[in-house]
Amino acid sequence: MRWLLLEMKSKNIGLFAFFIYTVLVLVPLWLAVDRLIWIVGYDVIDWIQSLERNYVSMGTFQFTLLQASISTIVTLAIGIPIAWQLGRYKWPHDYLIRSILTMPFVMPSIVAAMGFLHLIGENGLNIRSNQGTWFATLIVAHAWFNLSLVIRFCEPVLSTLDPQMEEQMLLLPAGKTRLGRFRYLWLPLLMPSIAAAACMTFVFSFTSFALVRWITLGENTLESMMASIGSSAGINGYMISRNEIILGSSLIQFTILLLSLWVMSTLQHKRQSRLPKASESIVKKKNNSGWLIVFPALVFAILPLITLVISSFRIRESSASGTTYSWSTAGWEYAFTSTNSLPSAWDALFNSVGYALVALVIALPLGWMLAQYICDLEKLKPRLARILDVFTMLPFAVSSVMIGLGVMLGMIRIDAEFFYSLWLTPALAHVMITTPFVVRIILPALRSIDPLYDECARTLGISKFKRFFKIKVPMLRGSILIATIFTLAMSMGEFGASWVVTRNSDWTTLPIMIDSLRSIPYNNSLTAPAANAVASVLMLIALILFISTEKFRPRRDGGMF
Amino acid sequence: MLTCKGLGKSFDKILFNDFNLDLQSGEIVAITGPSGCGKTTLLRCICGLEDLDEGQIMLDGRDITNTLAEERGIGLIFQRPVLYPHLDVKGNLKLGAQDCDVAATLEEVDLSGFENRRVETLSGGEGQRIALARALLAKPSVLLLDEPFSSLDEELSDKLLSDVRDLLKARNCPAILVTHNHDVARKFADSVISMM
Repeated sequence: MRWLLLEMKSKNIGLFAFFIYTVLVLVPLWLAVDRLIWIVGYDVIDWIQSLERNYVSMGTFQFTLLQASISTIVTLAIGIPIAWQLGRYKWPHDYLIRSILTMPFVMPSIVAAMGFLHLIGENGLNIRSNQGTWFATLIVAHAWFNLSLVIRFCEPVLSTLDPQMEEQMLLLPAGKTRLGRFRYLWLPLLMPSIAAAACMTFVFSFTSFALVRWITLGENTLESMMASIGSSAGINGYMISRNEIILGSSLIQFTILLLSLWVMSTLQHKRQSRLPKASESIVKKKNNSGWLIVFPALVFAILPLITLVISSFRIRESSASGTTYSWSTAGWEYAFTSTNSLPSAWDALFNSVGYALVALVIALPLGWMLAQYICDLEKLKPRLARILDVFTMLPFAVSSVMIGLGVMLGMIRIDAEFFYSLWLTPALAHVMITTPFVVRIILPALRSIDPLYDECARTLGISKFKRFFKIKVPMLRGSILIATIFTLAMSMGEFGASWVVTRNSDWTTLPIMIDSLRSIPYNNSLTAPAANAVASVLMLIALILFISTEKFRPRRDGGMF
Repeated sequence: MLTCKGLGKSFDKILFNDFNLDLQSGEIVAITGPSGCGKTTLLRCICGLEDLDEGQIMLDGRDITNTLAEERGIGLIFQRPVLYPHLDVKGNLKLGAQDCDVAATLEEVDLSGFENRRVETLSGGEGQRIALARALLAKPSVLLLDEPFSSLDEELSDKLLSDVRDLLKARNCPAILVTHNHDVARKFADSVISMM
C-alpha cells in the first residue's frame, strides 16, 4: 500500500512537471498563434498565399530550401571523409583532433557569423559584396557549423566496428574489391548515421539565423524574414499581411522541421540497433596520407575563430591618404565601456550569465522530472510514454525565432508593459529552448541504468531518499554535468529568440551586443573590433564549457551530445 | 520465522499458486525447478520487489505482505553480482552498514586487501562474494539467493556455496536458495522444495 502511495507521489511529480512544461513552453506559443489568428482569421490557404504574394517573401521559401539542401550536401561531402579518417586510422593526439573538429557545433552561431564575416568582409578577403561569393560563404559557414554533427554521428560506427566483420567480408566474393566492401558493409552500416546527420544539418541550416543575417546581403530565409517582420506582428489592424506571413511561414517551417525530426528519430532508432558492438581497444593503423584531409579540416575548424580574436585587436583608421590598420586593445576597451547607445560588455555578460543560470535552475530539474516520468511510464504504458516523449520534442520543431515571437506575442497578450520591463522575461525563451535538450540528454541515461541497482539497494534496506542521492545521482553524474554545461552554453549563445524578445526591452545579452555593435554604421572604426572582442569572450566561454563536457561524453554512442 | 501462506502470482500464465513455506531460524531451504517456472519471481515476491496476486507473508509474527522491500529486512543476492560502479569495494560494503569493519568483513569472505579495488576489476566469483558480504552486513532476517553462482565453473561454484553455507550457519541466518541444479540444492540446503 505504501509502495503504491510512493508510486502515486512519483506520478504526481511527473504530472506536475508536465503541467509546468506546458505552461512554460507551450502556452506562450499557443498564445502567439492564437493572437495572430485572432487578427487574421483561420484561413490557412490565405496565410500561405500571403506568404507567396507578398513582396517580402518572394522566393524566400525557395531560397531557404535551396541553401539548406546545398548546405546539407556540402557538409556531408566534407564531413564523411573526415569521419572516415578519424574512425579508421590511428592519429597522434587523437582526443585533441577530435575535440577541435567537433568544437564548431557548440560555438554560438553569432560567433561563427562574426568569424566568417571577418574572413569575407572588408577587413578580410573583401568578397562579401559579390552575390556568388556570399552564397558560397553561407554554404561553407553552414558546413563549418554542422561538420561536427556528421563526425559525431558517423565516426563511432567506423571506429568501433569489429575488425572480424571486415576480415570476413574480404574473404567473400562480394567483398573482394574496395567498392564491394563499401557497398555491402560500410554503406549499409553508415547509412542511418549519415541520414540522421543529414536531417539534423538540414534542420539547423533551414532555421539558421545569425549566419544568414550577417553573411548574406539582403537575402532572406523564412527564419530571418520572420525575425525582421515579427516586431510589427500581433498588433490589431496594423500590417495584417505580416501576421499572415508569419503564420504561413511558421506552418511551413513547423511541418518541414517536424518531418525532418520524425525521420531523424526513426533513423536514430534504427541506427542504435545497427551500431556494432566491438571493443574500443581495436588496434588501428597510421595513415600518413590521411593528413591531406585531416590537416585542412583542422585549419578549417580553427581559422574563423582565430581570425575573430586577431580582428578584435586590428583597428581600421581612415584618413585623407587612405585606410590603414593598427594593432591595439581599443576595441576591447570600447566593448567594456558603456556608451550612450550601448551598455558595456560587463552588463551584457552579467545578463547572459544570469539568464543562463535561471535557465539552468528551471530547465535542469524540469527536464529531469520529465525524463524520469517518461522513463517510468515506458515500463507501464509504453504508448503514452512515446506520446509524451514526442510532446517534449515539440520545441525542436519550432525555430528559435518563432519561440522568441511566441514569448513576445504572449507578453503582448497578457501585459506587454510589465513583461518588457521584467529582467527575467528573456530567460523564458532560454528555458523553452533548453528544456527539451535536457530531456534528450537525461532520458537515455535513465534508460541505461539497470533497474537491478535500485532493486538491490531496496533489499539492502536503503530508503528512497538515500537511493536517490547515493545511487541515482552519482550514476547519472556524467549526464547531469553534460546537461548542465549544455544548458549554460546554449543559453549563453542563444541569439534568434533573444533578438526578437530583447529588441523592445533594456536587457542586452552577449550575442545581442555583438549584433548591436556590428549594426552600428561603419564610420566608427571601433565597433567591428569591439563586436569581435565580445564574440571572443563568448567563444572562450563556449570553449571552456565544451572542453568540460567532452570529458564526460560517452564516445561510443555518437549523436548530437 | 518466515511463513509464506498460499502465495500466488501469474503474468501471462500462472507462475505459482498456493505456495506455502515455513522457514525456521538458521534453516536453509532450496527451491528447484526448470527455467521459467517462477523461482526468481517467487523470491522477488518474498523480498517485496514484486507484488503478490494472493497470499500472505509473515516474518517473526508480523505481516509483511504489503511492506516496502526496503523495510522488510529480507536480503537478496541476484544471479549476477550487482555492485555499484561509481563506488569501490569499500563504498559498496558501506551501503550494507555505514559503520562496518570493512577489513574484517573482507577477511570473512577471503578477500582481504580488496578495500580500494574498483568493482569492474573483480571476477564474477569475487563480485558475488562482495555482494554476499554486503547483504550480510545489512543483517537481514532472511537471505534469499537467486542462483548466485550459476555462471561460475562447477568447482568454484561448489566451493563458494560451501563457504556461504558456513557463513549463514555461523550467523544462524535462515536462507532460501533457488536453483535448477538438484545436486547443488542437496549439497547446500537442509531441505529441498521442487516447483513444477
